[in-house]
Amino acid sequence: MGSITVLWLILLILMLVVGGQEGVSAFLSLLVNFGILFFAIVLISFQLNPLVVGIVASVVLLAITIFWSSASDEASMVAFGASLVVLLILLILIVVITKWAALGGFGLEDSDELEGLSILLGISFQQVAMVTALLSSLGAISEAAIAIASGLTEITAQHPQITASQLRKDGSQIGQQIIGTALNTLFFGFFGSSLGLFIWLNSLNYSWGVIINDKVFVTELVAILIALLGVILIIPMTTIIISRRWQNKINKQKDHH
Amino acid sequence: MVVLAIISLILVNHDDELYQQPLFKITKISQAHSQKVVDDFNNVDHEHSQLLTGVITNGEYQGKQLRVTNTYSDSRGLDQPYRIGEHVFITLHTKPRLHATVKGAKRDTPIWFLTVLALMVMLFGLKSGGLLAIISILINTGLFIVAIKINAAKSGDHVILLFATLALIFCFITLWLVIGWNRQMLITMAAVVLATGVAVGLSQLVIVMTDAKGIYYESMAYVTQPPKPLFVAQVLIGVLGAAMDVATDIIASLVALKQERPELTGRQIYRSGNQIGRAIMGPLVNVLFFIFMAATLPMTLVYLRNGNTWVYSFAMNMSLGMASTLISAIGIVLTVIFASLLTSWWLKTGGSENG
Repeated sequence: MGSITVLWLILLILMLVVGGQEGVSAFLSLLVNFGILFFAIVLISFQLNPLVVGIVASVVLLAITIFWSSASDEASMVAFGASLVVLLILLILIVVITKWAALGGFGLEDSDELEGLSILLGISFQQVAMVTALLSSLGAISEAAIAIASGLTEITAQHPQITASQLRKDGSQIGQQIIGTALNTLFFGFFGSSLGLFIWLNSLNYSWGVIINDKVFVTELVAILIALLGVILIIPMTTIIISRRWQNKINKQKDHH
Repeated sequence: MVVLAIISLILVNHDDELYQQPLFKITKISQAHSQKVVDDFNNVDHEHSQLLTGVITNGEYQGKQLRVTNTYSDSRGLDQPYRIGEHVFITLHTKPRLHATVKGAKRDTPIWFLTVLALMVMLFGLKSGGLLAIISILINTGLFIVAIKINAAKSGDHVILLFATLALIFCFITLWLVIGWNRQMLITMAAVVLATGVAVGLSQLVIVMTDAKGIYYESMAYVTQPPKPLFVAQVLIGVLGAAMDVATDIIASLVALKQERPELTGRQIYRSGNQIGRAIMGPLVNVLFFIFMAATLPMTLVYLRNGNTWVYSFAMNMSLGMASTLISAIGIVLTVIFASLLTSWWLKTGGSENG
């Protein structure tokens, strides 16, 4: 058996021990997400428009991550809606920045790896870069959306008399609590995954001036900042949607009386 | 503040003189010929060339006019077209006469724009929490840079030891900022350290016992030193934030729970911990999954379009990202177990005086 298969098995057992059925659905969501991601790459390699494939894949990936989590149906709907809005905002930002900074494709740093490979593929690497940035923010957006939506729907269940404006206050309070740890997850995740790149850049003795204009470095930094913006934006977005829905519910109840 | 931000953007856009590398500003572009390129795998692309006329904006030859040819392809893998008004890094040659080749675009303005945007959204959207988050990120970035410098000074020896120490310091500072200095913080830290250590140790055992079958260290990108220890260091740092997230959440909730219901037994506390953990572990694992895997997209695409099989393209580009994701996921689930276990031991004796 290969190492990766054994690691999958260990994860399955552990998730089963800790989470039972919920553990299995967490495991399956990871497995299916991988399947969709790989399938999306294959579709792009079949010359389908990268940005279109990326957007469709992102929506499906968000849906799976959110609806297969253990959040309630109500919370999941809100989290999904808020995530889609933030996804759209991020998409616009990504398109602007990627074009402005001429990102996409590879840097001179990649030439070793590219040796013997043709990169004149007729596929827009600029769009591929946009998709990459979008995908790397998905997990962080959905995680924060689920946390806020679950917290707030729990509050409405326990305090049915709460007003919409109080709910908004609670939302921003929960947001304050989770933002620190959510940003840490992102920060360390990105630092870990690009440790090799940073060590490499350092070993080349690049000056700061060269580094902040280097395509590979800027691409990585854009991914970090986009994910960070996504997490910060999802908090008010989720809160607004929940308090709006709550206000509508209160109004309807008033009409009845 | 918005005004300051805009002024800083304009300044960054005109900071050419701060650079030692020669820059020039494009004033005129004329398109030259285009040609179709087909490679061995029937990938069709077009190569174009453009003649850029511009003025050198810094250094010894400032103000001199130049003409430079630039070639680019439709797919823009390693090249790009330029626009009028854009500032471009060039390499100057003085012999036999002054001429230049294009080196790359100036990207400091867009990246500064995005950084300022993120900072402002954080400060306005999160207020004091945003400031704390920025401070924490700045401290950690500083430490990270120091560690990379130490690593370089030791020419990559003891890389695991170095980054494990760094991870401990990161963990200490971050939890101290989030929780404060008390027993709850120490227990959170213990859960994180134990879980991360066991996850990495266990995965190394698995990799040794399976002869690292399916793990292609040689495929690691940007490697200047032995890849195996570097891989361990990457996972160690990568999983740390998520593990802290889980442990902080579970332990804080359990302390609150015990205060509300002091009659809870250790076993009940452990169960409640697992219950909280199972709700957050799935989404958190996916956070790391997307961070580790999205970056592999462009290169996997190149492999697929160069006539390689799905299996080979996966192995050479995504296997390490997948392994990192799985080891991190194991670490996250173990954090749930250790956080619940340690807290149940701590609280069952009624020792919540520091909570």
